Amino acid sequence: MNNDVKLAKWLNDEMDETELKEFESLPEFTTYNKIKKYSAQLTAPEADMESLYTKISKNKYRTAPTKTRRISTWVPRIAAVLFIALGLSFFMYVNHTTHELAANGGMALLALPDKSEVTLNAGSEISYKEYNWAENRRVELEGEAYFKAAKGKTFDVVTPLGTITVVGTQFNIKARGSRLDVTCFEGTVKVTTANDTVVLTPGKAVAYEGGASLHLPEVARTEPGWIHHEAVFVSENFNNVIAELERQFDIKIVVNGTLPQKSYNGTIPTRDKDKNTALDMVITAYNLKYKKQGDKIVLTAE
Amino acid sequence: MSNHNPGGICEELTFSGFFATHAKTLRNYLYYKFGDRDQAEDVTQDAFIKLWENCASVPPEKAKSFLYTVANNASLNKIAHQKVVLEYNKSKSVARVNDESPDFVLEEEQFKVKLQNAIAGLSEAQRTAFLLNRIEGKKYHEIADMLDISIKAVEKRISGALLELRKQIEHFR
Repeated sequence: MNNDVKLAKWLNDEMDETELKEFESLPEFTTYNKIKKYSAQLTAPEADMESLYTKISKNKYRTAPTKTRRISTWVPRIAAVLFIALGLSFFMYVNHTTHELAANGGMALLALPDKSEVTLNAGSEISYKEYNWAENRRVELEGEAYFKAAKGKTFDVVTPLGTITVVGTQFNIKARGSRLDVTCFEGTVKVTTANDTVVLTPGKAVAYEGGASLHLPEVARTEPGWIHHEAVFVSENFNNVIAELERQFDIKIVVNGTLPQKSYNGTIPTRDKDKNTALDMVITAYNLKYKKQGDKIVLTAE
Repeated sequence: MSNHNPGGICEELTFSGFFATHAKTLRNYLYYKFGDRDQAEDVTQDAFIKLWENCASVPPEKAKSFLYTVANNASLNKIAHQKVVLEYNKSKSVARVNDESPDFVLEEEQFKVKLQNAIAGLSEAQRTAFLLNRIEGKKYHEIADMLDISIKAVEKRISGALLELRKQIEHFR
């Protein structure tokens, strides 16, 4: 056994018999034995543990804030994320805009949140916000649509050319390029453009070309012609007629030569099977030459 | 075995139970260190308060070692310049008096005084290890944990203490 721990081992009764006998035979053994015996009789000065605890308790409650229950720090974090997500989704829900469109060559019939009906003509698009629809019936239109508005608060249709406010039920709006046509079939329609405000009653129609008002005859029909696959043109620009045919038949038409200035009045069939008849009508009206070039139709004015 | 309380040391009951078990020994140890009652009490108080403040992050099984670590750290800048005065426990030393001769009793009393003085003269390291064993009855491995040293180191200190005590006492024979 190492000398430097020998005495500690003895004190702890860890010596084996031989070592112990040897140790006990030493002269200094008596002293060590007495040290062992009497040191065990010593005590530390008295301590008032109760008052010490009281002092600690007082301090305890002063520093109480850190005694937060060990709720994971993730709880407030997750709550914050959920709250933000909730706020965001509500924001998105409120601001969400629905878009509906009719591609070239077709029509689209759709219902708005209050069961108002909209029929979109080929190549047209509307957009609106579903949130709070009943209080705020507002639709943005690009192209042509026939509206059957359900009864309720005012119905607004906003086009690049003007806003149409409806307090009635059935009306047609065509906003193409620089031409705006509004026809009222039932109820009352107010048309507001940059320069003009007009109120239409059933059968009445209004058109603006480049901001200038055109005179339109009364409309005898109860629905727009295009619903029944007939494109009705009144004092229409040649370009607009061609554009309409492109949309209705989903074809590309190239016009060469001098652009005809004469406006067009007529009704052109627009079913797929009517394609050649439709083209014929325009060719005849404007004395054009027809040629097919790949997937394009080339019309040449003389 | 440790009390498996879900609230840990933060629970009032657990904390007070822990105090009841460990506070006195800690305070006594600190007294053996400083020889100053007030200082021993102050450091004990501070250590327990610190334990409370950190109760949420100290598991019950680590509480004792936390306590002693805090106490030892707090002691680093405190100077022990007081003499460690230890009294003999009256109840423990009564028995023998009637059996022995007056000379023997006197000699023993003298020895005891010499022992008290000799202990006061030990180095802090030897004194604390020795007294934790003799007075507090702590085993060497327990002392090792409290002082944050190895068991071998504890044995060296205690052996050193015994040797030094004998030299001091015999020197005054």
